[in-house]
Amino acid sequence: MNAVRGLRLCLLAAGSLGFAVLFTLAVLDLPPFGGNFHPYGDRAVRASLLRGTPNTVSSVNFDQRSLDTLGEELILVASALGAVVLLRAVRREEEDEPARHHLGPADVFDALRVTGYPLLPVTVLVGVYIVAHGQLSPGGGFQGGVVLGTALHLLYLTGDYPALARIRPVPLFEVGETAAAAVFVVLALAFAGQVIASNVAVGVEVGCAFVLVLAKFFEQALLIRVPA
Amino acid sequence: MLSPVELAIAVPFLAAMVLAGAGRWLPRVVVDAVAMGATLAVTGLLGAVLWEAVRYGTVVVWVGGWRPHGGVSTGIPLVADPFATALALVVAVLTVAALLFSWRYFTEVQAVFHTLMLLFLGAMCAFALTGDLFDAFVFFELMSAVAYVLTGYRADEARSVHGGLNFGVVNSLAAYLSLTGIALLYGRTGELGFAAVGEQIRAAGGPDTGVRVAFALVCTGFLVKAAAVPFHFWLADAHAVAPTPVCVLFSGIMVELGVYAVARTYWTVLGGAEETTARALAVFGGTTMLLGGVMCLLQRHIKRLLAYSTVSHVGLLVTCVALARADALAGGAFYLIGHAGVKGALFVGAGALLNRFETVDEHELRGRGRDMRVTSCLFLLGGLALAGLPPGGMWLGKVLAEHAAPHGWWWLTVLGVLASGLTGGAVLRVWLRVFRGAGRRPAGQAGEREAGETAAPTPRVPWLMLAPGLLLLAGGLLVAVLLSGPEVLRGARTFTTGYAGTVLHGRPSLAHAGRLPELWTASALVKGLAGVTAALAVAALAVWGRRVPPAARARPVWSALHTLHSGHVGDYVAWLLAGIVLFTLLVIV
Repeated sequence: MNAVRGLRLCLLAAGSLGFAVLFTLAVLDLPPFGGNFHPYGDRAVRASLLRGTPNTVSSVNFDQRSLDTLGEELILVASALGAVVLLRAVRREEEDEPARHHLGPADVFDALRVTGYPLLPVTVLVGVYIVAHGQLSPGGGFQGGVVLGTALHLLYLTGDYPALARIRPVPLFEVGETAAAAVFVVLALAFAGQVIASNVAVGVEVGCAFVLVLAKFFEQALLIRVPA
Repeated sequence: MLSPVELAIAVPFLAAMVLAGAGRWLPRVVVDAVAMGATLAVTGLLGAVLWEAVRYGTVVVWVGGWRPHGGVSTGIPLVADPFATALALVVAVLTVAALLFSWRYFTEVQAVFHTLMLLFLGAMCAFALTGDLFDAFVFFELMSAVAYVLTGYRADEARSVHGGLNFGVVNSLAAYLSLTGIALLYGRTGELGFAAVGEQIRAAGGPDTGVRVAFALVCTGFLVKAAAVPFHFWLADAHAVAPTPVCVLFSGIMVELGVYAVARTYWTVLGGAEETTARALAVFGGTTMLLGGVMCLLQRHIKRLLAYSTVSHVGLLVTCVALARADALAGGAFYLIGHAGVKGALFVGAGALLNRFETVDEHELRGRGRDMRVTSCLFLLGGLALAGLPPGGMWLGKVLAEHAAPHGWWWLTVLGVLASGLTGGAVLRVWLRVFRGAGRRPAGQAGEREAGETAAPTPRVPWLMLAPGLLLLAGGLLVAVLLSGPEVLRGARTFTTGYAGTVLHGRPSLAHAGRLPELWTASALVKGLAGVTAALAVAALAVWGRRVPPAARARPVWSALHTLHSGHVGDYVAWLLAGIVLFTLLVIV
């Protein structure tokens, strides 16, 4: 067994070394750092101004290369579905009712409670702001969606799991996620350049997908167990 | 209004979202109907696009209307040339077959299975049709993410999760390498479109070392998907555990899309016909043909056996790309379509066995399939077709590839007969043992039981499960008759010439229809029969040959090969790195 392990490490070392050398060779052939050769960047800026999109990043994401963004969106959807499939309670496992447990840090300091609850609406507000401001400044649906998706989980940090489970009915978030993704499919292909609408669709989709993925993780960690 | 090309991508994604959102409340029959309806719609759309592409030339659609001005654009083109469209059409047809097969399929987890199949369909279509390197990477990732989940779909079996994990780790690493290569190409050229990158490199005086390394890195990702040796380890692990309809898509087209992407990158970025790249691809292709064939014969798990035969056949496709000639590519196209049909049919047959006996172990099943006439027929004809029975697509493809090979490539003929004999022979051996009960009971420990894929074992395999197998087999066997040879050759010429002109400058793409070599000649038929004879001999020796001395003496070799295919993901990663270095060195030196 040790011999196999040694051979594996030798092969890995040789491969890594070779790769490092070849990669260095390729990097040495790149244009020098800090030059002004940016043909794509120059064109993208011009194109975004031409279509009246103030933020070039948004213009690239939701207009010029909207098909890429569509693919990335769907990767997130597929990953959320993957979490549903791979983390489901399988035959030899049992799933508890959330209400049976006061799972989570129910005994938190009052100080944390006092800061945690008021932070929830503030975090949601920040998330909405980042989504809504995406066409003007860096940010947008992806970043804002993540903030929105994680905001709900403040309830878990300051309260307990049943409280969290109550405010995120999974079917509702599934519908929200897929409806937003469907809207984005149409936007990306048929109405490329609708930056505000695209940001909203992406924000809803990403937020819901995060909630769903985390919900699966919570279930796996807290509720599903293998009977002794 | 969206063009048919865009619709072919939008329809499966939209249907997938409907099923993912509403699957919780929809009855099973509606879920089936929506999935099947969307897939048939995509098939129709792609059929129409293919007709247009063959008749009037490549269809180029710039998403969002970002048409190029003076040959430059910041947008993403969808390029429906005859080859890309035909590949997408193969994806759609195989998805129809897979969905038919899974009509009676297990119904766990809402409509997630159907959602994933539709996402897979859309991702593969977009991957085939896109004319942009980075966009290809995005849909490569989507395709992979869905494929990992589908592999591990039966998550209650540890083996499924293991297979999915190995697949995920190896393919994700490969994708990062592709992305690194794309970043290097972007750094050099400031472009991301296949056509635009190629134009910039030509304008700078052709590829140098840096470009070649970048190209090799991009291709590595695709070659891992294509399961070229030594990147092939994940494939058998994944195929052995993935649900049967998923295997039909994996073996039939997903793996082959990796070869397609290598070819697309090769011709658009490097311009095709590079001596060093041809050598690298030939070395990898030839090794893959041989090792895949040998490993195929060594298996007793039928799905694993079929998986290794896919490895071997992909080797020939890689070699077709290495030949860098339009007629070799036309051969590759015939081979790919023939293989998709035949291998799909064989997996359907394996699925029928699994659902009835809850095992696909060849030794366990010995003689138990005597009353399964249709499945038996699938394996017999499938084995012969893999070995190159005329007029199958695999026969014609191999003949064309050998015809296109220059003088120094005598090894291709030898490897061709060997690969046919080993892969076809292995399947015929399964047919003899399982359906004819031939040979002695093989010694060795019992195989493992697996859960079937239907709610209860199916004593009589339903027609709805076997029909797609029969249709695929018929398609695979009749490709050479059904498809017009000159049109395929013209598609290959369109693939190899004038891509940048068509995409960036709107020049007409129709290449001249060429003449294929005469097909029904004595020598071509002899080549086909040589493969079939070799397969019959291999099968007979495997079943009735009592301890053939050479095979017994080579036992250390077989056990070394088994050790090599350890299932340890660390080994796979080490081989991945070593393979990259070897491939890159062959490309640049």
